[in-house]
Order: sequence, then C-alpha cells, then structure tokens
Amino acid sequence: MARKNRNPVGKNVDPEAQKKKTRTLTLKSSDGQEFSISESAAVLSIAIENMVEDDCAGGVIPLPLVDGGTLARVITYLNKHAEDGASDEEKRKFDEEFVSGMEMGVLFDVVLAANYLDIRGLLREVRRRIADRMKNKSVEWVRKTFHIESDFTPEEEEQMKKEFAWAWEGVDSDVDD
Amino acid sequence: MAAGTRVESMPEDCLSHVLSFASPTDACRSSAVSAAFRDAADSDLVWENFLPSDYPEIISRSVSPVEFSSKKDLFRRLSFPEIVELVMVCWLEIHGRIDISMLSPNTSYGAYLIIQLLDRAFGLDTVLCEVSIEIGDHRMQRPIHLTRDKCRGEGSGVSRKGEEDVVRTRGDGWLEVELGEFYNNGREKEVKMWFRETKGVHLKGGLLVEGIELRPIE
Repeated sequence: MARKNRNPVGKNVDPEAQKKKTRTLTLKSSDGQEFSISESAAVLSIAIENMVEDDCAGGVIPLPLVDGGTLARVITYLNKHAEDGASDEEKRKFDEEFVSGMEMGVLFDVVLAANYLDIRGLLREVRRRIADRMKNKSVEWVRKTFHIESDFTPEEEEQMKKEFAWAWEGVDSDVDD
Repeated sequence: MAAGTRVESMPEDCLSHVLSFASPTDACRSSAVSAAFRDAADSDLVWENFLPSDYPEIISRSVSPVEFSSKKDLFRRLSFPEIVELVMVCWLEIHGRIDISMLSPNTSYGAYLIIQLLDRAFGLDTVLCEVSIEIGDHRMQRPIHLTRDKCRGEGSGVSRKGEEDVVRTRGDGWLEVELGEFYNNGREKEVKMWFRETKGVHLKGGLLVEGIELRPIE
C-alpha cells in the first residue's frame, strides 16, 4: 500500500513528512480525556488522516466513539508503528505482545476503535486474536465470555448441532482463562 | 460497558471479519451462539476465506452442476462429499472418469475406491469383484476379493493370504480398494475406472461408497 506518508525514513527526506513528525494533534476521547500525538502517527488511522486532510482538525479532534482507556492503547500502537527506525520484525513482536495481555472485553473495545478509526494493521491483529481465543471453545464459553444471551430455542440449537455435527468435534471442555 | 453490549454494538461485518480468522469448525459452531453470531458466521465474507482460491474452476469441472445457496453451503459440498450407501442390488458397478489434463503430466497415479463394509454387509464376497482402469488404448483389470475381515484388520494394512495389496485400511475407518495405476504421459485425454461385480446375480448390499481418490505414486 503506497501512501504518501509512508516514505521509508531516512531515504529521501520529504519536507512534508518531516513537518508531520514535528506537528502534533490533540485527540479527545468520549470521556473528555485529551492526548497529544504526532501527526505522522495519527494519520496511520485513515479516518484521522481524512479529517486532517479535510482540515476539520482545527486544534482538537473529538473521537466520541472511543473512551480514554481504549484511546490510550490505540495511541501506543500508533506511536510504535510511526517510530523512526522500528524494523518490521520489531513491530511484529510489539503487535504480538500488545494484544496478548488483553482481556476479551478490551479486545472488543480496541477492535471497535480500530474499525471506527480505520487502522488496518491493528484491526487485523485484534480480529485474529479474538478468533484465536475462540479456538475449540464451546458455544457456552463464547456466550459466557461475550455476555450473550442465546436467542435460540433448545430445539433450534439441537438442530444446528445435528446438522453440523462435525463442527462440534474436538471442542475443549470449558475452563476459565 | 459489558462485552455483551459491545458485541451487540459491533457492526455485523466486524464480527464476520473476526470469524474469518477462525477455523471453519470454529466459525460454523459459533453460529449457534446467537442470531447475531449466526448472521455473521454464515456470511460469504467468512466462508470465502475457507474456500480454495481456485474454487470456481473446481466447480466447473464437476460432471453434475454444483448448486449452492451460499459460500458456506458450497464449502460444505466441497468438503463433505455425500456418501452413498448401497442397500441392496444384484448388479454392482461403480465407474468414474476424469479429464487427464487436470493431473500432472509425466507422473504415475494410483486410483482408489474409498468404501466401508457395514456390519450387515452381505453377498459381496461370494464372487470375485473386478477392478479395471483404462487410459487411451491401455486397459488393466484384475479380480479382487472383498471381505469384511479386511476392514477389521486395522494397522496391518496388508491383506492376508499374500493376495496383492489391493485393499487397504486407511486408519480412519475407510477401506481403499486399488482400482489400478496409470502413467500420465500427457498425450491421453481421459482415464476411466471401474469397480464391478456383475457375474453373480445374487443380492448384495451393505456397502458405503465415498468416492474415488486419485493420487500420485512414487
């Protein structure tokens, strides 16, 4: 994906890219917390990049769908990925650690924020992580973890189980993790 | 905010994207979680990921048209071929043919009929069955003896009595009957394969047939 703000650092010094690095933006979460971030990191979010380009970023950018705790996490991610000289390998390792300690609820907050802010790399990482956690888990485990009430009748459930019996083989017994 | 309300507030395609990173079994099972999960888990966005990238070609090769209502349905059709149970017949003949251009040239292949003999199988070992394979002008055929103890003799892999090793247990409950071997020299068009027992006109039954498998051999 070739985008104008992704020039490899140190190759040819694009004065516009330099400016973005020094320019800071302020992001404001739904609960009123404000965060400073370099423009070069912020525009890794396509949504923020569009806002900056359309010049609606007069001072503070309000993000009414992202709470402060989640925004802080997202900013950590953006900063790492905009960091000068961070190798792909280093970023990959960072991504792995970034999501590995997150509870399911936090992963959900982050995936929603990444979806809203359109941060492709982060979206991929978190989606994959949520799917990993569901691996071999029972239907009941997923309901419990996601706090979902079933809206199927026992008969409907039994029918699905019968029809797709192969998908119920090898399911782990429920343990809290 | 509880995770449950988050899931509800999640756009459907967001959940589908999550499930596209899961395995087909996990995705399929998750459709029993709730209606929202089912909508997300059944979407083409999820199942397209699980289909082989050349699936349109695979479908186009099918002798009978492959009809499917969704990508999930198609996945199921491609992954779980329907099994045929032979309940009772007096004339048994199974044959298959394949366009040889789908196989690698200058390679030897073995053709195998994948079957199971049910406990109530009968009449199948009274008379010798016959397997044959035909490619171009070459035709090879030989008799085989189908007995039930072969499906029990798991592990040994070789049929008893020193009979050629044409019926093998696969370890997954299925037996494979070697229909023959052939060499694809790249010049022929079609390979035909048969399994039949048409001499004894007595009744026979209790045979499950999954299909014919072709694979390269050393």
